[in-house]
Amino acid sequence: MAKDITIYTTNTCAYCVMVKKWLGAKGHSYSEVNLDDHPERQKEAFEMSGQLAVPVTVITKDDDSKEIVVGYNLAKLAPAVA
Amino acid sequence: MVKDKPAVMDATSHKIWDLVTIGAGPAALSAALYTTREDITTLLFEKGVIGGLAAITDWIDNYPGFPKGVAGLELSDNLRLQAERFGAVIELGEVMSITDKGTHKLLATTSGDIKARAVLIATGSDYKKLGIPGEAEYFARGVHYCATCDGAFYRGKKLVVVGGGNSAVQEAIFLTRYATHIDLLVRGDSMRASEVLQHELNDYKDKISVHFNTTTDEIVAKDNVVTHVVSTNSKTGKQKNIITDGVFIFIGLRPNTGFLKDTKIALDEIGLIKSDSKLETNMPGVFVAGDVRSGATMQIASATGEGDTAALMIREFLHDLK
Ligand SMILES: Cc1cc2nc3c(=O)[nH]c(=O)nc-3n(C[C@H](O)[C@H](O)[C@H](O)COP(=O)(O)OP(=O)(O)OC[C@H]3O[C@@H](n4cnc5c(N)ncnc54)[C@H](O)[C@@H]3O)c2cc1C
Repeated sequence: MAKDITIYTTNTCAYCVMVKKWLGAKGHSYSEVNLDDHPERQKEAFEMSGQLAVPVTVITKDDDSKEIVVGYNLAKLAPAVA
Repeated sequence: MVKDKPAVMDATSHKIWDLVTIGAGPAALSAALYTTREDITTLLFEKGVIGGLAAITDWIDNYPGFPKGVAGLELSDNLRLQAERFGAVIELGEVMSITDKGTHKLLATTSGDIKARAVLIATGSDYKKLGIPGEAEYFARGVHYCATCDGAFYRGKKLVVVGGGNSAVQEAIFLTRYATHIDLLVRGDSMRASEVLQHELNDYKDKISVHFNTTTDEIVAKDNVVTHVVSTNSKTGKQKNIITDGVFIFIGLRPNTGFLKDTKIALDEIGLIKSDSKLETNMPGVFVAGDVRSGATMQIASATGEGDTAALMIREFLHDLK
């Protein structure tokens, strides 16, 4: 089970909406870092994902290990939050 | 009188759906609004973003009813809400194939096999790739196909945009809100974008430099960071390195019809689906609407209009089945 889920998003990113919608539908709560509101945290998203893209979903597991999923990718998101 | 229905259903709610749409872009969402209001049970499959390409378009100025224009995300969400209000069910998943079983169609999907009396294909299209060195290697690390998704990473940076059509110009203009300068590389000797957009582009002369007759040959990176694009002037044959922090590619669209390869549904020479005047394909009960239809005009207003037309034709088809 995921202990914590954080999503890095931007205002215009439709795939970010889909990740939030999917997590909501599956009953997961999450926190959001909007990079348009917090451009200073862009570097943090890039360092974590290695990619210049959103959404970046950071899943912290019970054992504090982290899994990072870039994009709206259900094949990766579903097992990561399970 | 309108009726509001609670939408707490999923793909398994019906053994056979009256209608399954493949895609939940503007065409399918509009069709679903019409069918559900007539109590035609309707399930939409969406493998990407609800709202399709309209959802990833920053701003739409030519959809009727919005005198000041509307954000693509907002229009998409409104289309979704309106369809769901009457009972449309959206399943987040992909349809992999359609088989005609006579009394119904069988759809193989990521959510298992689904049965439908009628099917609407409204799968639109996806961005084409250039197929040049560096493109796949640096995907999402300097090479992008979605400005509204990834543009924010280029605040204060330099960008290259490839393409000369409506999408390239529209997206280059959008990207000026982040990038300090954009080199727009156009393969031909003129723009294919509409007059309106070309006119708008003129207002961005100080931020967007247009290079005609320019092919994009390679995307080069150092230490995994994109540094420049190698381009060639096709008139002079001269190669030039264009320094950039990232590349956005908008060179046209490829129809999403790959999943039909094992069917006999007829496609035209570019892979768009052929239909008759009822928007029905050559597989009875399988209809097509929007960008993926051969002859479509590739606009949101026409996609929603085609969705509505298809819905009315589907209603007739279902009526005749009884
Ligand atoms: C950059 C850009 C800017 C644009 N600007 C404008 C504009 O200003 N005004 C305008 O009128 N039009 C504009 N357009 C065109 C407009 O977006 C399209 O005409 C419209 O979205 C077409 O709607 P559609 O429903 O046919 O297809 P789409 O919007 O492409 O939706 C199809 C959906 O089907 C889904 N899908 C595909 N295959 C499957 C499958 N096998 N299983 C499940 N789901 C599947 C896709 O994920 C997609 O969400 C623009 C397009 C682009 C690319």
